[in-house]
Amino acid sequence: MEIERGITKAMWGYDGNLEPLYDVEDKGAEIHVTFDLPRVRKEDVEISTTEDTIEVIAKMSNTVCWERWGGIQKRITFQAFKKQIRFPVHIDPEKATASFKNGILRINLPKMRREVLVGID
Amino acid sequence: MNMGELVRIVEEGAVVYNNPIVIEGLPDVGLVGTIAASYAVEKMGYKEIGYIESDLFPPVMVIHKGKLKSPFRIYGDENVVIVLSEVAIPPNAVYPLTEALADWFKAISAKLVISITGLPAKDRMDIEKPEVFAVGNNEDAMKKLKDKQVDLLEEGFIAGTYAIMQRECSKKDLSAISLLAQCYPVYPDPGAAASAIESLEKFLELGIDVAELNERAEEIKLKARDLMRQTALSAPEMQKDVEQDMPIMYQ
Repeated sequence: MEIERGITKAMWGYDGNLEPLYDVEDKGAEIHVTFDLPRVRKEDVEISTTEDTIEVIAKMSNTVCWERWGGIQKRITFQAFKKQIRFPVHIDPEKATASFKNGILRINLPKMRREVLVGID
Repeated sequence: MNMGELVRIVEEGAVVYNNPIVIEGLPDVGLVGTIAASYAVEKMGYKEIGYIESDLFPPVMVIHKGKLKSPFRIYGDENVVIVLSEVAIPPNAVYPLTEALADWFKAISAKLVISITGLPAKDRMDIEKPEVFAVGNNEDAMKKLKDKQVDLLEEGFIAGTYAIMQRECSKKDLSAISLLAQCYPVYPDPGAAASAIESLEKFLELGIDVAELNERAEEIKLKARDLMRQTALSAPEMQKDVEQDMPIMYQ
């Protein structure tokens, strides 16, 4: 999982996107992912999935501008949150579900797997 | 070796303390304590009265309005003292830090030490108003909690700076309580901080209104992202997972 990398690198870039705080939980048959998206409305969240990735782009309702902060950047503005997460297992993108409440986006991603019952001799 | 010497409390100015209530709002789950403590400092206009230094802390200073400051600071007046930090507490600093703080609280004759923190709630997303639970370290603390009708945590483990703060206060014969508001474990939680302040108000009676905290919740969440990220990184070493475990002597 990318969790470790996700929390050790800087969470902002010069492209106007801010990396959201997120949490990934492996629930066995499903992967649960949540994102903290302050200043975002439900209709401004875009989620796309492939068999092993999920990407969230969430436009903020107003631009965040940090001035007089830091040595190099001095002034930086952000318009959206953006994050792509790659999973070590295949998921079933068609069966993914999502909900958004109080600024938290929750996505449930069922794992793609073939279950075979093993008989006991 | 006296571990307390590893951490030094540096007082600035000369406050004549009048048996103050001490609030500890160090970074932990949901940054509940940090958000609540910094909001109280802002609303009450408390002055900076000292800072904490230690070779165990990361080599970090913070700049505010062009002025260089320690990220571990103490605010307050003769009646209320607030301890907060703008960086995560390194796990190896927890014991000497809490010991040094408890020594200092004893020296200023604190009448009560209140740690504000969070209680991770799996279904936090569905909780409109987080509830607050409490832990007390002695009979006096338990009586205070009962008088103020705060729900008690009856069984379970507590882990992190606040847990050891309780123990160090017991050793110094100081009454200590922890107020734990239901929170998101890894996201800054101004809503939980608002609940914690409402509970804290039962003890402080300062008239701190949380309306602005709720209005500014999204802005606070954005500002708190980096500290939350640092704090989440040290959570496993702080044994935070144990808080979900069942003690073998559970009754």
